[in-house]
Amino acid sequence: MATTVLPGEFESGIASGAVAGDRRARGLRRAIAPLMTVRGLPRWLFWTGAAITLLFVVLAIFAPEIAPYGYNQYLAHGIRFPQQAPPSAAHWLGTTVVSEDVYSRVIFGARTSIEVVVLALMFSVVIGVPLGLVSGYFGGWLDRVLVLINDSIFAFPYLLLAIVIAFLLSSSVGGGVLTAAIAITVVYIPQYFRVVRNTVLSVREEPYVEAGRALGARPRTVMRRYVFANVVHSVPVVASLNAADAILTLAALSFLGIGMDPSVAAEWGYDISRGVADAQAGFWWTGLFPGLAVILLVTGLTLVGEGINDTFNPLLRRPNHRRFAMPKDAREATTAAVEMERPVVRVRDLRVWYATDRGPVRAVDGVSFEIRERETLGLVGESGSGKSTLGRGLIGLLPVGAIRDGSVDFEGRDLVKATQQEMRHLRGPSIGLVFQEPMTRLDPLMRISDHFAEVLHTHEPDISDAEIRRRSLEALGGVRIPPTRFRNYPYEFSGGMRQRIMIALALVLKPRFVIADEPTTALDVLVEAQILSIIADLKNNFDTSLLLITHNLGIVAESCDRVAVMYAGRIVEQGAVSDIFSRPEHPYTQELMRSTISLSTRKLHYIPGAPPDLVDPPPGCRFHPRCPQAMEVCRAKEPVGVEIRPSHLAECWLHGPQDEIPPDGRRPLEREEIGIADEA
Amino acid sequence: MSSKGSLRRYIITRLFLVIPMVFILLTLVFLLMRVAPGNPILAALGGHLSHTQLLERERAAGYDKPLIVQYGEYLKQVLTGHLGTTLTDHRPVTQVIAQNGAATLELTVAAMFVALIVGVPLGMLAGRMRDTWVDTGARVFGIVIYAAPVFFLGLLAQLLFGHILNWLPTSSESGVLVQATLTPHTNILLIDAMIDGQWGDIPDLLAHLVLPAATLGLVISGVVLRLVRVNVIQTMKGDYIEAARARGLKERSVVVRHAFRNALVPIVTVTGLQAALLLSGAVLTEETFNWPGIGSELIYYLGARDYIAVQGIIIVFALAVVAISLLIDLLNAWIDPRVRY
Repeated sequence: MATTVLPGEFESGIASGAVAGDRRARGLRRAIAPLMTVRGLPRWLFWTGAAITLLFVVLAIFAPEIAPYGYNQYLAHGIRFPQQAPPSAAHWLGTTVVSEDVYSRVIFGARTSIEVVVLALMFSVVIGVPLGLVSGYFGGWLDRVLVLINDSIFAFPYLLLAIVIAFLLSSSVGGGVLTAAIAITVVYIPQYFRVVRNTVLSVREEPYVEAGRALGARPRTVMRRYVFANVVHSVPVVASLNAADAILTLAALSFLGIGMDPSVAAEWGYDISRGVADAQAGFWWTGLFPGLAVILLVTGLTLVGEGINDTFNPLLRRPNHRRFAMPKDAREATTAAVEMERPVVRVRDLRVWYATDRGPVRAVDGVSFEIRERETLGLVGESGSGKSTLGRGLIGLLPVGAIRDGSVDFEGRDLVKATQQEMRHLRGPSIGLVFQEPMTRLDPLMRISDHFAEVLHTHEPDISDAEIRRRSLEALGGVRIPPTRFRNYPYEFSGGMRQRIMIALALVLKPRFVIADEPTTALDVLVEAQILSIIADLKNNFDTSLLLITHNLGIVAESCDRVAVMYAGRIVEQGAVSDIFSRPEHPYTQELMRSTISLSTRKLHYIPGAPPDLVDPPPGCRFHPRCPQAMEVCRAKEPVGVEIRPSHLAECWLHGPQDEIPPDGRRPLEREEIGIADEA
Repeated sequence: MSSKGSLRRYIITRLFLVIPMVFILLTLVFLLMRVAPGNPILAALGGHLSHTQLLERERAAGYDKPLIVQYGEYLKQVLTGHLGTTLTDHRPVTQVIAQNGAATLELTVAAMFVALIVGVPLGMLAGRMRDTWVDTGARVFGIVIYAAPVFFLGLLAQLLFGHILNWLPTSSESGVLVQATLTPHTNILLIDAMIDGQWGDIPDLLAHLVLPAATLGLVISGVVLRLVRVNVIQTMKGDYIEAARARGLKERSVVVRHAFRNALVPIVTVTGLQAALLLSGAVLTEETFNWPGIGSELIYYLGARDYIAVQGIIIVFALAVVAISLLIDLLNAWIDPRVRY
């Protein structure tokens, strides 16, 4: 549960002990800023919680001023209050069996609760945090002993511990706020100990601490700064959730009549215990209102704690997507494609946009291509060019908030318009998908045999068990996994074997079209060759069409028939592999080829600049800020696909069409402008 | 490399790990009971017996010996199962535990059942429908129900179902007649009635069980709901979930077979940690509904300052926690093959 936050955020807060007044104010604002954008929990819930908590704190501080009577006052002006009177104008929430005013008792109860909680939290932080620091920092036997004791106490029913301690204390020093606070403290020390110790341990192994050490910072300095920063963040979460728990524990102790002496202060739990007796006789108000007070305050504190946790815990943080619609003008542009005879897949003007905090990301922004039977199309590009999104976009496997447009024709059906149900039936039996990271793609709790049985049962409900076994083993044999491993669990296989299993799992349904998304990137070179040969077999044995997504031009040269080059959401060039490798026409393709390392490489080449931001892509040709041959027209107009040779298409103004280039459009772009774009 | 053999090996190693924890808890109980001023005899019987009688009793019980010797004798007694006799009403502590512990067991098992029935489906629903009003509603329910003191919920339940509607009994474990006719075998009344074939008693027993079990179970369900929700959300992000979708599996089986099963490991672990919460809640529930469990016995004997009885009961609670955590670990090893290594 340790919240790790980039250390940079804390730099100013930790830098010096003496922080100037305005810097402190700024620091406070910075600390609160994330709360203004609470995301996990609806924001209004967090603020409701904060308001409730504040209300009770005010009640606690000003109890004597707010409450009409004292907590144990039973008469005013010499006249005794009525006994067990229902709520009325004189006593808003009624009176108790000994004529006390319930409303006043509820308000003074807030004071008792807040006092006990503040004391208990102070004690447990003061004791628990240093213990955790020492344990985590020094480690060794001290750590082991402390952890063992701590875990034992933590596992023990906390209320029993508090009961026994409160009982022993009150029989020696008497009951009261301090006794109750100490009894509760003992219960919470283990929690702070645990959180702080785990933070120290995780920080010790954090890459930035390692990096700090490598850069020559003294380990203690590094540790002190980052541990402090992390502890500062996790303790408030634990504290606010503990405060909620502490109020329940206090109420429980008082309910049982232990720890708090009822003559010393008003306490909600004690009032509820008397309310139980009253309720039997029909006097509902004496227990109801103190009970509601407990629920309200505990709910308030919990909402605050969860709000803080949701905000600072990156695991629970979720993107704040704004819904969007694809603008109409964006959809009008059409892209050219190399036309094929009887293609298996025919993609036209496909767009896939993601919703993000900053607006839609145009991950795939109008691409067209076709794949024939038994053909392998390689899709290459840098990371972030949109090639993986394109692969997933074809089968509609996109995150919430993504929008698709254009058309994907497959077996006479448009996959963009297909329903979820139709897509589900196509995924698997007709279109297979092989992922990049094989290690995490198999369900760790299921045997390999169960994976096969599940997928076969889903798509062929009438299949027999013997048939499942036969087909599975056949598919596994195809990727050279022996039948003896059929009933093993995923963790018993290496990465290369898992990838082969993933492939077998896709092939067992004999799909016509397979999308392989960087299938060998996570594997070593020998395994890579093995996987590629399996993929090549597949095409020959099953007549499968293949979209092979990769950033490795070597793989394309070896395994693909045709290649499409992707840059910033567009396919900038496509054609036969031999053609494009021998005569690349788009400057980006040329640069990409020059960046490839081979035996003849003398000097490493790289493309200056970085791929553009796809929320706000550059106008005109998206490559123009990095293009060595950029012209005026490239910045002004989006390039059009031009068929340079038969079946070889490029989107670049260098290749025309001439009649669309304005008169002075061929002038080269100024060098310094490239420089500026480069910076950006 | 058979998985059966590895599970057995895991159970044995895990059992050995329990020993230090039991030892620490026993020591903790001893220290707690001895830091009190005076000694158990003086605390319980001071004022009832003469000075010489007290001294005699103290010597007989060994309270005049050095603390470390007392500690050794205490460990020996506990490990051989001799928890002593209560000072105030001369019941063997083991008998208190057997009789009242059975009632606590019945209550906690029934409460856990309620907690799972309510918490798991709501948590799954909230996790799947994240950020919709269903999710917000389920989360607020979880937070508010957990914020309610169990004895206050009990009070409300008694008011509503006992007094206003008059549907259900609000106190004790069974009706007087049933209590008189049942012969104890296991001390779990429901099972005793079944053993003797007294089927007519079962409705009465169930009616008594409903309110306490539902009250305690609802409070725990708040925690279960939150746990299930967070873990379902986490596992739904898993790579194998996307892969399962890519194979065209039905959304239902993606959620139930893959997401929920994988979420189960952390859920079971953290639910195990809630054993402390369950037992603490049981003490309060028993007090509220006059349920004759060891929780209400503990409060009774504390009031009577009968430290021998208190010590025995706390030891049982400690052992119960250890046993539950052991059970949880074994359950996890059974669910997740990776744990066994």
